[in-house]
Formats: sequence, C-alpha cells, structure tokens
Amino acid sequence: MRVLVVYAHPCEESFAAAVRDRTLATLREGGHEVRLLDLYAMGFNPVLSAEERRGYHTPGENEVPVAEHLAQLRWCEALLFVYPTWWYGPPSMLKGWLERVWVPHATFRMPEKGKPIARLMTNIRLIGVISLLGSPRWWWWMIGMPGRRTLLTGLGVLCAPGCRTFWLAHHRMDSSTPETRSVFLDRVAKKLRSLAP
Amino acid sequence: MRVLVLYAHPNPESYGAALHRTVVSALEGAGHVVDDCDLYAEGFDPVLTYDERMAYHDVPGNRAPVVEYVRRIENAEALVLVFPVWNFGFPAILKGFLDRVFLPGVSFRIENGLVQPNLTHLKRLVAVTTYGAPRWRAMLMGDPPRKVVMRMLRVLVAPNARARYLALHDMNRQTQNGREAFLRRVRETVSRL
Repeated sequence: MRVLVVYAHPCEESFAAAVRDRTLATLREGGHEVRLLDLYAMGFNPVLSAEERRGYHTPGENEVPVAEHLAQLRWCEALLFVYPTWWYGPPSMLKGWLERVWVPHATFRMPEKGKPIARLMTNIRLIGVISLLGSPRWWWWMIGMPGRRTLLTGLGVLCAPGCRTFWLAHHRMDSSTPETRSVFLDRVAKKLRSLAP
Repeated sequence: MRVLVLYAHPNPESYGAALHRTVVSALEGAGHVVDDCDLYAEGFDPVLTYDERMAYHDVPGNRAPVVEYVRRIENAEALVLVFPVWNFGFPAILKGFLDRVFLPGVSFRIENGLVQPNLTHLKRLVAVTTYGAPRWRAMLMGDPPRKVVMRMLRVLVAPNARARYLALHDMNRQTQNGREAFLRRVRETVSRL
C-alpha cells in the first residue's frame, strides 16, 4: 500500500520519535511504499490565516497554500498519524494541519440543499492513529476520547466508504517504563505487519 | 468579576467576530472587568517548541516563555472561550494555548502521580461557538469540542466553575434570523454571568 505517515512531536529524543521510526521501518519491511510528513521538522505553520479563511470556500484557490500536502493526501491509500495526545487531542501542529489542508472541494463537498457533506478522499481506505497519552485508559474513555473522534471519525467520513480505522495507544506515559514502551513498540509493529500489502 | 475572554478567529468581518464583540460588550455592560485576549490579533504562536517540551515538568521555570498569559489566567475569575469549531475541534491557535499555557503548576498539578486541578479560583467557564455541522451530526461524531469544555476543562482544570456551552449548529445553512437569535441568546446568557 501507499502509506502516508503524518508525525508531530518537537523532540527527536522522545518516545514518539521511536514510535515513528518503528512505524516507518515496519512498513518498509512489509513492502509498503512509505512517505513521511514530519510537521515540526518541515516547519509547518498550523495557523489558518485570515486570507486563507476568506478563500476557504473558493475551489482551486483554497488549494494553493497547501498544494504539496494535498498531493501527498491524493497519493496515499493509507493515512497514519503518530503523535502525543496533549489535552485530549492532537498537538496544535497537527490540529492546524487538518484545518489548513483538508479544505472543501478538494477533500469534501459542502452540504447543499438536503444533501449531506460528501466524501472526496476516496483513495484513502485506511486511517490509523498511534498515540501516547498521559491519562489512564478508563479516564480517557470517561472524557469521551475527543482526539480519537476528531481524527478517526472526523476524517473517516471524508475518505473511502467503509474506510477502516485503527487506534493504538500507550496510556499513563508518565509512569511508563522501558518494558511498557518496548511492549508498545512491538504492538505497533505487529499491527503494521498485519496490513494488507 | 474579572473575566478573561479567549477569542480565536482570524477575520474581523466574520460571524465569530460578531459573537466576540457581543460577548465583550455584554460583559462590560454587566459591570465585569474584561481582559480581552484576541489570540490572532495578539499573534499568539500555538506551537509548543522543543525547549518548552524539554522543560515542561520544570515547575515554575516552565512558565517563563508564556508568563504573561499565565498571569492573565491566574488573575481571572471567569474564563470565556469564543471560537468556531473547525474539523471537530478547537482552532489550532486555541488548541495551542492549552498546549503551551495550561502547564503543570499552572492549570494542573501532579501529586503522587495523579493530576489535580489547579485553576480552582475560576468561578465560571463559558464557551461560545459555532459548528458547520447540524447538531445531530455533531452528536453522532461524539462532539469532541463540547467534551473538551464540559468534561475535560470542567473536571481537570476548573472544578469550581459553573460551566455553560452555547453553540449554534448548521452554520452552512443557518439563516439570518437564526444567527441574530443566537447573538441575543449569547448576550443574555453572558450578561447574567
């Protein structure tokens, strides 16, 4: 499969970077074609500007500032996110990437007269999130898993009908140990090895 | 009361800007002291940096890069958020305010490995927001921004605050009447803060 990995963490020495590297290596071993968008490394600006907001609904024009990112999205068949969950959602860096890149007419059609929002990213048939959370699993569930819904549910309705999703999370990062992290890396690898070529 | 308004929308001609003006004027009309923080106008940078991440748990040194924003939160007795829902979440500029300013020792403490709320001086928490999607669709999606305000912030950050969540849905097909009615509702609710 053609897999686009979108990654957001400021520190190369972080566990998130280790997860990213294991993700890329496992996918390549599995014969997938892999591309990486490292949002911090590329200095992505997550702030939707006034100009972009004014042109947000203008077909074509709204694609210009993020044309390279849209090209990557149109290329891939699977979209994977690797990031730490901060305040129950993706870092602002990744949240802003959704706002600026997933523009109407390119990734979805606005609802019209009785017709709901229409999906346009039908080349994407798998969305996966690999995330690291401070909170315990039960507490994350009590709060209602906002970040998971924003990414998997929110983007899922814009991708191929029946688009599959997966969510892998290491909880309680603040009390994680080398053992729990190593177990998690193996879980990530196992999941990614199971992806159809 | 001293009220911190956190506002996130880039365009002065937007409906979001009208909501923002309504909120500020209703608060001032009711005799509150308003600290109006327009994140776009102030050029707030929402990206947590390498250095900030490395010093994240270093209380109180971690607040140095955002000390002025910390002071404004600590000075407030009420917090009002005015923002559009974009992609089923806060705009990045507001999300980044949480990432960078809601630090350990500021909005929460870690005691014996457990997170304890730290903005206990906040008495009111209000969100004023708009959704492109209709209400049923937002509910079907699990409504992440509502959960972030009504569960996460209320429970983890400001447990003593009475919380209100005011939302206008279906913006893409909203009528002039609907928009005006919501402005009135916001004015009335915020005036009675």
